[in-house]
Amino acid sequence: MEYFFQQLINGITLGSVYALIALGYTMVYGIIQLINFAHGEFFAAGGYVGVIFMSYLLSQGAPAWVCLSGSLILAMAYCAMLAMAVEKVAYKPLRSSSRLSVLLSALGMSIFLQNGLMLTQGVYDRAYPTELTQGGFEFGTVMLSYMQLFIVSLTAFLLVALNFLVFKTRIGKAMRSTAQDKIMSALVGINSNRIISLTFAIGAGLAAAAGIMVGLYYGSVRYDMGFVPGIKAFAAAVLGGIGNITGAMIGGFIIGMVEIFAAGYISGEYKDVFAFLILIGVLYFRPSGIMGENVDDTRV
Amino acid sequence: MAELHLHDVSVRFGGLQALAEVNFSLMPGEIVGLIGPNGAGKTTVFNVITGVYSASGGHVEYNGENLTGLKPYQVLHKGIARTFQNIRLFQNMTALENVMVAQHSRSSCGVFGAIFRTPTQKREEARIKEKAMEELRFAELDEFADEVASSLPYGHQRRLEIARALASEPSSILLDEPAAGLNPAESSELMETIRKISERGINVLMVEHDMKVVMGICQRLVVLDHGVMIAKGNPEEIQKNPAVIEAYLGN
Amino acid sequence: MKRSIMTALLVSAILMLSAGMVFAKTLKVGTMGPLTGPYAADGNDIKNGVLTAVEVVKANGGIPGFDDIEVMPQDTACEPRQAVATANKLINEEANGVVGAYCSSATLPASEVLDEESIIMITPASTNEKVTSRGLPYMFRMCGRDDDQGFIALKFMQEKLGAKSVYIVDDKTAYSQGLADGVEKMCEAAGIKVLGHEHVNQGDKDFSAILTKVKTSNPDVFYMSMQNSATGALMLIQAKRMGIKAARLAQDAVYHPQLMEIAKDAAEDVYLTFGYIDNNAPAYKEFYAKYQPKHGEPGAYSGYAYDSAMAYFKAVKAAGATDPEKVKAELMKLDYDGATKHIKFKPNGDSGSNYIIRKVENGKFINYWNPATGKLY
Repeated sequence: MEYFFQQLINGITLGSVYALIALGYTMVYGIIQLINFAHGEFFAAGGYVGVIFMSYLLSQGAPAWVCLSGSLILAMAYCAMLAMAVEKVAYKPLRSSSRLSVLLSALGMSIFLQNGLMLTQGVYDRAYPTELTQGGFEFGTVMLSYMQLFIVSLTAFLLVALNFLVFKTRIGKAMRSTAQDKIMSALVGINSNRIISLTFAIGAGLAAAAGIMVGLYYGSVRYDMGFVPGIKAFAAAVLGGIGNITGAMIGGFIIGMVEIFAAGYISGEYKDVFAFLILIGVLYFRPSGIMGENVDDTRV
Repeated sequence: MAELHLHDVSVRFGGLQALAEVNFSLMPGEIVGLIGPNGAGKTTVFNVITGVYSASGGHVEYNGENLTGLKPYQVLHKGIARTFQNIRLFQNMTALENVMVAQHSRSSCGVFGAIFRTPTQKREEARIKEKAMEELRFAELDEFADEVASSLPYGHQRRLEIARALASEPSSILLDEPAAGLNPAESSELMETIRKISERGINVLMVEHDMKVVMGICQRLVVLDHGVMIAKGNPEEIQKNPAVIEAYLGN
Repeated sequence: MKRSIMTALLVSAILMLSAGMVFAKTLKVGTMGPLTGPYAADGNDIKNGVLTAVEVVKANGGIPGFDDIEVMPQDTACEPRQAVATANKLINEEANGVVGAYCSSATLPASEVLDEESIIMITPASTNEKVTSRGLPYMFRMCGRDDDQGFIALKFMQEKLGAKSVYIVDDKTAYSQGLADGVEKMCEAAGIKVLGHEHVNQGDKDFSAILTKVKTSNPDVFYMSMQNSATGALMLIQAKRMGIKAARLAQDAVYHPQLMEIAKDAAEDVYLTFGYIDNNAPAYKEFYAKYQPKHGEPGAYSGYAYDSAMAYFKAVKAAGATDPEKVKAELMKLDYDGATKHIKFKPNGDSGSNYIIRKVENGKFINYWNPATGKLY
């Protein structure tokens, strides 16, 4: 039983990370029907901005909470701006082109950003100051580290904040209406370009937060770190019903859990196989994903 | 009081001349009908005015300002709202939310205000909600405020679209076939609503096929045929105009 | 008349120039290794090791008969297909010799292609047995072999740790899984209970599920066979957080200064199998003095890459040509103290294994246990 609980904690932690990244995919897809392949790179960039700023703050003798929150805010802001710039340069000029052109542009942007990160930050792993986040609770043999607690609670906070933004605020209404009908939204006075830009910014901000959490939790970042989690999070977004915010969160947690439990009870070798089997299985019975279509009022 | 003028407006799609030098005005307090057979270019006129298409010749002037090159949301900010022939509500949002969205342009707080709920932001939300409820009451839809738009009956959806257009506090409203698909009882309710809009001092330009509605409320009519303006005048004059009769009935 | 003189001058000038070009001979050495992707650190170490060797040779007057030595770094990305493509590229660009690759899974197919063109290849890092067991005439190896490495790991577990049980985790590459499989077989034969042999995927960062398994089965030794140090570091951090108390034993690919940089105190007391290198040997000091200021602390295979390049240059110098047969003959004759080891190639191209147990102590690798004597250093 203790083994089960330990794996449950592991699964929730990993699921949190996937959920945060998946949101960016799903929001962007919801609003301009684009699979933003460059999204994983925002995650990596966030991890780097975080470590650079955090190391600086630490060297200045700042207390731990200042280091954590300061670098978190800075990384989120940086990636939000980066995403807006990417949208402006690579996607906006292609707004009226075929979806394939935009998709290719996204792929190109992903390669460009990843190589940019490699050239500026080097090919070596960069260590995070893990001393900030050691220790944890022990329940018998079950370990719950402070870091896991931090990841799960920060994710929960961001998810609640995002839900509030999308469903309870004017900006959220504008995002939802733009997702449903861009021309009509413009005709009721919404600057849809601004809303699209904002959607990219929010998605990238969440990915940046995930980047920092991954850096802190696993101890290091590398320029190509966006690729694998990017694919997993994309799978999570599709599983949940791409375009659907609640779906992306659920999808993220499911993929995280399945991976951990498959590794924990079957074999680590096949955990990805199981994660994608679940994806295929769900899509077979519900082609639009768990939350897709039928309840798409949550679409952004 | 607002004035809308079309000066020699032409629109071309490749080799097709959709509009050829159309000239007409919408003066303060007027209800003007834009009529003509199918494919005459009526909806194109709406799309040019609201910035969805850009004119290939001539220009649209509103309150002395040239609207050329403005984006749809900017045209709306100038005070021109519109509805669609095929209803384009945000189907998954409630009636109230649909109307609230339209006031996006009238509010000032940014993203941070929206997330962090500043007092200004709270006041603003409250004001927007109150204003939206007012428009719903005007369109007699207040009891459906929390219903999802797609679940409303057809006639209600029409009126909701109008309420949404009015929520942006326009000085002119363009209605594209507001009576399409309505039964006679709903049609007369609609005419009543349009009159009430006009009484609020909002200019109305409408495209409509239902001649009972057109003749019943329009003070002036503009007739298009194949992109060319073939007549304008009051309903009686138009009914007698041989060019109009030919366009509708053929030779 | 004037014009014909001008023409004659011009023609002779062109002739002189081209003649000059014919006489200017460049020795071209390719390096192969992952310069991008997850193992980019190791690939760059190899490239930097070779660059350092070139620098040293040039500073000592170069190689007679060659005006310049050109290094052509190639990125294999640790992929068999890309490795073959880069091998072909080096053939087209007329490389004389190659130092590389890093991953055994890249070295194996690339060497087949290079060998057909009789290009000498010296791998500084690929430890898989097959590298030299295929009988390729121009394939050499500067590092040790996995069968030897696995045996030393077993010997250490038995003799020094007195282990009764082991849990093995690898990350599924030709090298890491090959080594782990070897260790598993040897442990079983030697009566050490293998409680589990798990695999993680390339690019994974989260090992919590597997580590929970390791912790629950409570082995005496946790044997990690990872393709690189960064992955090893991630695993050590999470193992510490999980509270795994078993002795942690890793291998040569995890050996890298990066390990302590990332894992910090989670890397303390980790044991690794790695070739014996005498840091106080004059050749090593010479290498270190040239390498460190430019490229930072040497990685696991920087020194071996340096020695590979040096051996090749020595052989070319002795042969006075790049003819593969002659260079091979000279390589076989080499018998000297390199930076990392005593260099004397065996007929199959191996230079012999000299694995020992190293340990991380106070953030540094120290020579810990000598398997030949069974004693601590």
